[in-house]
Amino acid sequence: MSDAVTQIENGGGNTPKGAPVRRRSMKTSRSVILADKAADWLIRIGGIGVIIAVIGIMVFLAQVVVPLFTGGTLEQHITFTKDTRDARALTDLIDDYRTITVTIEADGQVKVYHIATGTALRSPDFEFDGAVPTAFNRSISGGDVAFGFADGTLRLGQLKISVSIVDASALPADVQTLGETADKTDGNAVFTPIPGGQFRRLAVETVLRDPQQIAPQGTAIMAIDYRLGGTVERPTSSVITVDATGIARLSRTETRTNMMTGKERTTVRSTELAALPQGTVVLDVLMTSKADQVYVAAVDGTVYRYDTRNFNAPQLAETIDLSPDQATLSVLRFLIGEQSLVAGRSDGTVDIYFRLPRDGAVTTDGFELVRAKRLEPHRAGVVAIDVSQRGKMFATADADGAVWLRHGTSEQVLLRMASASGSAHYEAIALAPRENAVIAMGTDGVVEAWNVSVPHPETTLKTIFGKVWYEGYPEPGYTWQSSSGTDAFEPKLSLIPLIFGTIKATVYSMLFAVPIALSAAIFTSEFVHPRVRSVVKPTMEMMASLPSVVLGFIAALILAPLVETWIAAVMLAFFIIPTGILFAAYAWQLLPNVVQLKYGGAPRFTLMIAVLLVFAILTYLAGPKLEAVFFAGDFKAWANGTAGSGVPFTALLLMPLAFGAIWLITERIAGTSLATAMRTDHRFRAAAIDMGRWVVSLIASGVLALLIASLLSLAHFDIRGGVIDTYVQRNTMIVGFAMGFAVIPIIYTIAEDALNAVPEHLRAASLGCGATAWQTAINVILPTAMSGVFAAIMVGMGRAVGETMIVVMAAGNTPILDWNVFEGLRALSANIAVELPEAVKDGTLYRMLFLAALTLFVITFAVNTLAELVRQRFRKRAASL
Amino acid sequence: MSAFMNPEQAVADRSAPTAQPRQRASDIRARGEPFTWALGGALGVGCLMIIGFLLMVFWNGVGTFVPKPIAVVTTTGGEITAGEATRTELYRPTPEVVAALSEAARQTIADRDGFAERTLYRIGNFDFYSEDFRWVSAFDVIDVKYPKDIVLVERTEWGPFIGHIESIAVDGEVIALDSVHDPRFAEAHAQARARWSQIQDIERHQIGAVNYRINQQRLTLRRIELKDGRDSQAYSETKRAADAETAELQSEYERLTEQAQALRQRNAGMTVTLEELGGREKTIGIDEIVRTYPANDLSSSEKISIYLSRWWEFLSDEPREANTEGGVMPAIFGTFAMTLLMVIAVAPFGVVTALYLREYATQGRLVAFVRISVNNLAGVPSIVYGVFGLGFFAYVLGGSIDQLFYPERLPNPTFGTGGLLWSALTLALLTVPVVIVATEEALSAVPRSMREGSLACGASKWQTIKYIVLPRALPGIMTGIILAMARGAGEVAPLMLVGVVKLAPELPVDGLFPYIHLERSFMHLGFHIYDVGFQSRNSEAGKPMVFVTTLLLIGLIFVMNISAIVVRNRLKKKFVGSQF
Repeated sequence: MSDAVTQIENGGGNTPKGAPVRRRSMKTSRSVILADKAADWLIRIGGIGVIIAVIGIMVFLAQVVVPLFTGGTLEQHITFTKDTRDARALTDLIDDYRTITVTIEADGQVKVYHIATGTALRSPDFEFDGAVPTAFNRSISGGDVAFGFADGTLRLGQLKISVSIVDASALPADVQTLGETADKTDGNAVFTPIPGGQFRRLAVETVLRDPQQIAPQGTAIMAIDYRLGGTVERPTSSVITVDATGIARLSRTETRTNMMTGKERTTVRSTELAALPQGTVVLDVLMTSKADQVYVAAVDGTVYRYDTRNFNAPQLAETIDLSPDQATLSVLRFLIGEQSLVAGRSDGTVDIYFRLPRDGAVTTDGFELVRAKRLEPHRAGVVAIDVSQRGKMFATADADGAVWLRHGTSEQVLLRMASASGSAHYEAIALAPRENAVIAMGTDGVVEAWNVSVPHPETTLKTIFGKVWYEGYPEPGYTWQSSSGTDAFEPKLSLIPLIFGTIKATVYSMLFAVPIALSAAIFTSEFVHPRVRSVVKPTMEMMASLPSVVLGFIAALILAPLVETWIAAVMLAFFIIPTGILFAAYAWQLLPNVVQLKYGGAPRFTLMIAVLLVFAILTYLAGPKLEAVFFAGDFKAWANGTAGSGVPFTALLLMPLAFGAIWLITERIAGTSLATAMRTDHRFRAAAIDMGRWVVSLIASGVLALLIASLLSLAHFDIRGGVIDTYVQRNTMIVGFAMGFAVIPIIYTIAEDALNAVPEHLRAASLGCGATAWQTAINVILPTAMSGVFAAIMVGMGRAVGETMIVVMAAGNTPILDWNVFEGLRALSANIAVELPEAVKDGTLYRMLFLAALTLFVITFAVNTLAELVRQRFRKRAASL
Repeated sequence: MSAFMNPEQAVADRSAPTAQPRQRASDIRARGEPFTWALGGALGVGCLMIIGFLLMVFWNGVGTFVPKPIAVVTTTGGEITAGEATRTELYRPTPEVVAALSEAARQTIADRDGFAERTLYRIGNFDFYSEDFRWVSAFDVIDVKYPKDIVLVERTEWGPFIGHIESIAVDGEVIALDSVHDPRFAEAHAQARARWSQIQDIERHQIGAVNYRINQQRLTLRRIELKDGRDSQAYSETKRAADAETAELQSEYERLTEQAQALRQRNAGMTVTLEELGGREKTIGIDEIVRTYPANDLSSSEKISIYLSRWWEFLSDEPREANTEGGVMPAIFGTFAMTLLMVIAVAPFGVVTALYLREYATQGRLVAFVRISVNNLAGVPSIVYGVFGLGFFAYVLGGSIDQLFYPERLPNPTFGTGGLLWSALTLALLTVPVVIVATEEALSAVPRSMREGSLACGASKWQTIKYIVLPRALPGIMTGIILAMARGAGEVAPLMLVGVVKLAPELPVDGLFPYIHLERSFMHLGFHIYDVGFQSRNSEAGKPMVFVTTLLLIGLIFVMNISAIVVRNRLKKKFVGSQF
């Protein structure tokens, strides 16, 4: 303080020199004003800054999440006209960098265009010596092609877009710049500049194998499919063809390399499938990579599904009509993974079919094609479909010239693109390998290319929070399975199992923590000497500062195996220890009043703890015996439902209810006389009556509960199969215990503070009117402090919701929807901790985990705000009392 | 209607008190004794939970480093198991096992309701047995001996060895050892270990420093290249200088490598041959032995010295054997560095915000809302802060810093990934509500009269805050900061996302410019517990380590909490006299 004074004195520069009376300047020193201003600004900026930061967290999380729900954007629409036009386009491809497009025309010519400028490039053609293919197909990635001919021959081939990196110095001399772009060409290949002064060279290469005679001479091949499979050491290729007589032939080529000699030996085997009905017009034929399923689709919508797992005896497994009404089937394609089929029809509908095992299926292999999804229909008939090589995205084109980008999992239409002319008829469409461009070949020689950006096609609000029918699943459901090794994997991103896991962990841990914490708080605040309180409260609070990683470790590695061994004793402890405590309480009442008063403080509390310990040890000792009684001697088998009956344990669970009922009934019948009897002068007699009544009621309730349980079991009710089911070592009960350590001290402290904050005069008044401490606590203190106690529970719940390390370590992390206490769970928080370190920045999983974090943020923020509001109300009320 | 008793009856009641015993207004049930006991029981459960927990951690943590005797157990199969008994428990043998037992053993099990006793032995010798631990059931045991000549050898690889030391070889000369206490072994061991630490020093620190400087040269050059291009004058000049410097460093590097190689060569001549109880032998370098002692032939003072040296190793050494052995020094250092940085970040912001809310902002609806928000932030799950820290600090902020200041290192991230700084900032964000709430409470406890008095004396607002308010609020603020430290030190979940690693090759502080490397990832005691307990090959082998680490972490946090209380009390006393 002296500083300030000095400053003020020194600051006054206008004191006359040598004046006998020192006059104080009334002017504030400049430095003081400056310091004050600076502090003022700094503190304001700092304070507001922190507050903005707080809001910023939520905004930032939301900003990361938003792109999940914004379908796709069209970046660029390019149109050009082919310079020459000879034959119909069979198919169309785009390279990885959406630089060039490759068209195979019906006469085998290969046309390559630079997309951005429409410049035609030279390329090697498929030479058929004048023959015109009658059938054509290619693999999803486009590399492997197969042609069928009118004479019954088949030619396999490859169409490769080769990518290589060349130095600027290695560019051919005659390169020319392509239009306005940075790309260069020498007429054959395209060179795109990349960072580091190098160029990426893109060129098309073709390979065509010799013809193979598949169908009888002169029988045209109408449809074809060609797959490469097997392993690197033992590659297999399979070809399915359908000829003009309706006969489908499957041939399989297997190449084995002899380990010793290094020689390759190729075997070819062929088999004929059951003939199609006369007059079938074959639309297309599809085959899986393993060549174990063949689908022959007819134009009228009938699909013949062959089971070719047994190569020598293929079977027609199923015949299904995909187009029962007037419309015809126009396209049938596999989505990547070959688990689902997408069918486009002439009336514009687009359906997705799954092959699923079904009970009571009329097919020979027990599988059925099931229409899983009907997507938004086109206004005109579907003419072409191309599927993605890396996900469940596909593009559909209709007769009006509209091209829609869709996704099989989310069922949404990501982008709707129209042709530049407003209507066009397409021969072929292609989806770029990186799902970032679509190209469509018009019959009039106009090529339309759309550069698109669809970063998160698989997520919509519905896929995240609703039921989704995933491939291979019998029905729609909520599933979380975020990643796997292959592109064909369908990410299952439903937050519901995780939210459920969080709720389950919270509910069970609150069931354990709330009774203990609240009872302990009431006891500490109302029944304990302040000196005891000053020891007990910090002890409990110490629990709050235990790091949760420690709790998780102890729970998972020490507690879980221990509980697993002694599970029966642990379960029964929930019943035996409270009963023991009550028994001790009734016994205590029998003591002379003087003793009760003298030792009513700390000694009584010590005794309580001793009783707890004694009954805990008793439970431990009697555990195996009781396990034999309640759980048929083996808890795990019992919980599975494979051993014993549920009756004894059901009875045990029902006992509290039965006890309550019997208590009420005796109160009704003999309440008055009991009360009169107990108001005698003989305390001991009263206590004995009280205890006797308790014991009798307990036994009676046991009998009653057993009776009800037996009746229930007659009605085929079994306690097992819901909340109690198969035992897993790291389970929700363990999580509940461990979370108790984290949550109990929080609830305890806040509730105890609330109870303690009830004004002393209320307590004094109640006691003064003759109420006992118990009556005061329950009828006066607790109702007054109720909102504070409620806030305590809410704050505790907030902690349980967000707790991470305990659930990561002790919960087993299985994302299932199951209330079983003995099964694990996967909570939102644990999921973030486990998966975020591996998630690619800005990928779908990354954003999904941010959404999980945002969900947690919102849940806890809501819970805590509610608690805070209630608490503030309570404070006001308490202050006004 | 009973309230309106007719007077005669009332008189009659009152007039006949002697006829029957006096009745109380309420019966014994009004005292609610059973309910009270239920409440007390709950408190008892809570207290038992915490006390039991602490005792268990303390017992296991303190006992871990005590050298335990090695039992040699012969079982019915004739198999010999030698190891430290770690724990004994009851279990249920499967029916097939029970069926194969003798009548008497079956009877014992039946008497215990199907439970049998078994002991877990730490048998070591992972290189021979491919397991660290073995359960031995009590009914299988024929004989347990504690031979005096058996030794436990702690090695740098393959975990402990249990058996005998056959012989040692010093520079090719084989010396058979007849006793465990042979001084020649101790001498050779000391020599080899000294060289070993020299090699470590050369390879880890000196060569590390050279590599670091070579890399610095490369980065400097790259920076110039990015700035001025390859053809510029500056580039060619720098390149010349850098090349010269690099060549020099390269020769330095080679010199050091040779030096290390020479030491290694000398150590290669010093080997020890170990023999396990089954008779299989293994020869390893003496320098691979950390410590060896005859477990069953130790005096108390030797036991104490081994115990203390293990503690010292734990506190001062780096971890080895996938973190399940050795020390946790980098983790202790990381925890401290991170907590310190966090306090530097959180204290000013927390205090300034509280000052703003309490002293500057107009108290109204908005401030009340902000206050609720701040309170709530304390309840937002820590993992959410971790997610924010990763997304915002590491990727957005760090990414921009990399673009601006470290373009020469791209695409390798410098600040654009998890690290010490981002961890500290994330935890600062997490703990800022704690400091705000504590400071606000402390500020509101300063009587208004003092502020008014100061202002009335002519002090400015800032002067009042600086000289009157803050000193009196200091105890509360300190408490808040220390509690924030305790919370921060125990938090693991967010750190898993923003920079903690299981094994950090370099400490965030070292002797190389710029000395403090805030971008480096670091080790943390809490994460060490998670990692060793859950990610290691054998969680049983890591358990002792986890317990000691837990003890250390809990100890650290309790010390912080207690110091918060002490600081509060002391400062309170200091200012208690100046209260108006």
